[in-house]
Amino acid sequence: MGVYILRRLLSTIAVMAMVGLFIFLLLHISSGDPAAIIAGDAATPQMIAEIHAKLGLDAPLPAQFAHWSMDVLHGDFGTSIFSGRPVLTLLLQRLPPTLSLSALTIVFSIVIAIGLGVAAAWRPGGGIDYFLTGFATLGFSVPVFVIGYFLVYLFAITLHWLPVQGYVPIHNGVLPWFTKLVLPSLTLSTGYIALIARITRGSMLEVLSEDYIRTAAAKGASTTAILLKHALKNAGVPILTIVGIGIAGLIGGVVITETVFDIPGVGRLTVDAINNRDYPIIQGVLIIFSGAYVLINLCVDLAYTLLDPQIRY
Amino acid sequence: MNIGRRAVIRGGLATTLAGGLPSFGRAQTNIGDQKTFRAVKGTDLRVFDPVWTTANVTGDHGAMIYDTLFGLDASFKPQPQMVGKWGMSDDKKTYTFELRDGLGWHDGKPVTAADCVASIRRWGQVDPGGQALMARTADLSKKDDRTFVIVLKKPFSLVVDVLAKLTTPCCFMMREKDASRPANEQVTANVGSGPFVFNQDLARPGASFTYDRNSRYVPRTEPASGMAGGKIAKVERVVWQIISDPQTAMSALQAGEIDYQERPPLDLVGQLEADPNITVEVLDKGGDDCYLRMNCLQKPFSERKARQAMLYLVDQKAFMKAAFGNPKFYNTTKSLFGNNTLMTNDENTGWFDRAPDLEKAKQLFKESGYNGERVVILQPTNMWSNVPSQYLASQLRKIDVNVDLAPSDWGGVVSRRANRGPVDQGGWSIFISLDSDYSHGDPLATSFLLANGQKAWYGWPQNDEYESLRTSWAEAGSLDERKAIARKMQREWWDFVGAVLLGQVTRPTAHRKTVTGFIGIPEIIPFWNVQKG
Repeated sequence: MGVYILRRLLSTIAVMAMVGLFIFLLLHISSGDPAAIIAGDAATPQMIAEIHAKLGLDAPLPAQFAHWSMDVLHGDFGTSIFSGRPVLTLLLQRLPPTLSLSALTIVFSIVIAIGLGVAAAWRPGGGIDYFLTGFATLGFSVPVFVIGYFLVYLFAITLHWLPVQGYVPIHNGVLPWFTKLVLPSLTLSTGYIALIARITRGSMLEVLSEDYIRTAAAKGASTTAILLKHALKNAGVPILTIVGIGIAGLIGGVVITETVFDIPGVGRLTVDAINNRDYPIIQGVLIIFSGAYVLINLCVDLAYTLLDPQIRY
Repeated sequence: MNIGRRAVIRGGLATTLAGGLPSFGRAQTNIGDQKTFRAVKGTDLRVFDPVWTTANVTGDHGAMIYDTLFGLDASFKPQPQMVGKWGMSDDKKTYTFELRDGLGWHDGKPVTAADCVASIRRWGQVDPGGQALMARTADLSKKDDRTFVIVLKKPFSLVVDVLAKLTTPCCFMMREKDASRPANEQVTANVGSGPFVFNQDLARPGASFTYDRNSRYVPRTEPASGMAGGKIAKVERVVWQIISDPQTAMSALQAGEIDYQERPPLDLVGQLEADPNITVEVLDKGGDDCYLRMNCLQKPFSERKARQAMLYLVDQKAFMKAAFGNPKFYNTTKSLFGNNTLMTNDENTGWFDRAPDLEKAKQLFKESGYNGERVVILQPTNMWSNVPSQYLASQLRKIDVNVDLAPSDWGGVVSRRANRGPVDQGGWSIFISLDSDYSHGDPLATSFLLANGQKAWYGWPQNDEYESLRTSWAEAGSLDERKAIARKMQREWWDFVGAVLLGQVTRPTAHRKTVTGFIGIPEIIPFWNVQKG
């Protein structure tokens, strides 16, 4: 197990190095010049050239890459071209909203999806099963931003129950933090609920047809005990896999949700940086998140051993 | 696992009760907070030095925290602002300025003449109007702590107009230690002497910026008018919130979470107009002039006839409809100097009455020697000019021009348009942009109006006769003289065609009805004089 973990951690470094090279090249061969954006629309070419030189963007590409790589190896992810602040500082500032949104989304997704999936599997062809099928179809097919705008219209503008946008840190109060995040989390979790609920239903149906479930029922075990104690644990591996993939996928999903609900998180930081060609931020965020993606997958792989003792590394 | 009738009734009651619960989210919307004005600007504030960039949002930031020596009033006449007394020598070559009482920096130190001298010097390095002033200046120095002089090499009647100009970069006064930095190095201190103080502790780049009322600011006694008069901050705090999605900003405005949206989406303005709590109004009556620039260095637009053809190709109403949809907010324009400036005139605008005339456009292209060269239109897919670029391509195809669109985001356009080479070496032929209508009335300081070849703005048009007239315009002694020269300039421009106009748009702002006191001027939307309740 120790060797396996070490090997996976080493592979993370290799993945991050490849991502770093790929991102650097992709950014610098694509069109766009931060100096021109900084200078503004009415700027003369001379003004832009001066800013270009000032930012060091006139150095040869290999020299820029070598410089950036060495800095990253020393833990320095550079400084934002626009704000002049260190990338790591900006990232840490933007991390809490994104983590809050992700955490609440995961909680909503798991609680609602597993509940729905288990209930649908217990009575296949019943009302809840039909509801789940319809919900899953909508959840997969309706874009996140449409769901977001719909929820805003209904709960914020029409009913005035919840705020439209923004973020309040949790240290300013749990209730304000929660109310700001309810709509974005529900929006983001719709797709995950659909996915996890469908997987849960399928996996549970398979387990519920096993002999030992029939035995448990014959012994007089309650419905709750059969569903949650005997069946759900054994149906857990595929559910855990899909939850793990979902968590990793959240990194991409938060971008649209943060934009629609004006949450100042890492997703918006990245989109703004791309629009502005703020190379250090884009490179820094992507390299850190690629590492996080690999680590999440490692954690999911290790969690399999807790659910299924037959799995060994 | 059966759901019984009682369970359904219990569920229904619970849902009804939940619906009747007081909104716990609404408490977070700050409705009724009379001391804080929450505004969503059209774009994010990324650069804080209003001299370092021409970005309008940075100009707005500058107007909040910095002050100017002179300010243009609502009728575009320069009025003293930081200056108390000023005068000109009999030979019209020496200008003496004395600062008024009570001026102080946000750090508590008094504003001095040395600060102003350094600020003018730094701004004069980058602003076209400032450059024109500095080129004519023999000496700029302080006489004492509150007095400084500008000594000219020869009379230049636009000194005060240039110092008061609204187009970015404006001549904002900074502390000497900030203004002593080279103009290509950003000032990040955000310490000015204006009516609002930048709250560094509450700055959240990408999320919000906060400005507090400058309690020590001494406003002028005259009523507020444009950038002139008393700049009285009537709210304790202004929060610039950055909401990148206009639809979300609009929803926030309707829900009362913000007070002001600078650029509501034009296709959804009707929805805001129907809201009894919202006022939709055009603050900048002059709006913006939309235009297309052609690369005059490369074929086919290196040929005058090909550029003239574009005048006849363009159907302004169709372009504006494609770009902005709602005819309430756009108009046509034929004067090089905009629809609403002192220089507006109708000289040599016969093309306007005839356009669109595709046959004439085709004929002119043929006369230009056009031989099927590829025309590349830069198409910013994330900007208003996306659809007009596509429409332009379709119009050009109708007259058998070999045209390609080069789609990218705006960042890609601003990068590629700097390439002066031919299209097969990454160059371009046409891009679409806009400037404030007001700025087009100032041929001295507006990049769009230059025609000095390689030194001109993108497209690099060159016409020596026009440039000579532009110099004469700057050196004219009276407004009437400048108006007469402007007519001659326009005659030349519509002959060599340095750029082609597409129309004028006056984009509205939207704000809660409870907010009043907005000052409508071009380029900058000031937040002094604004009050809630």
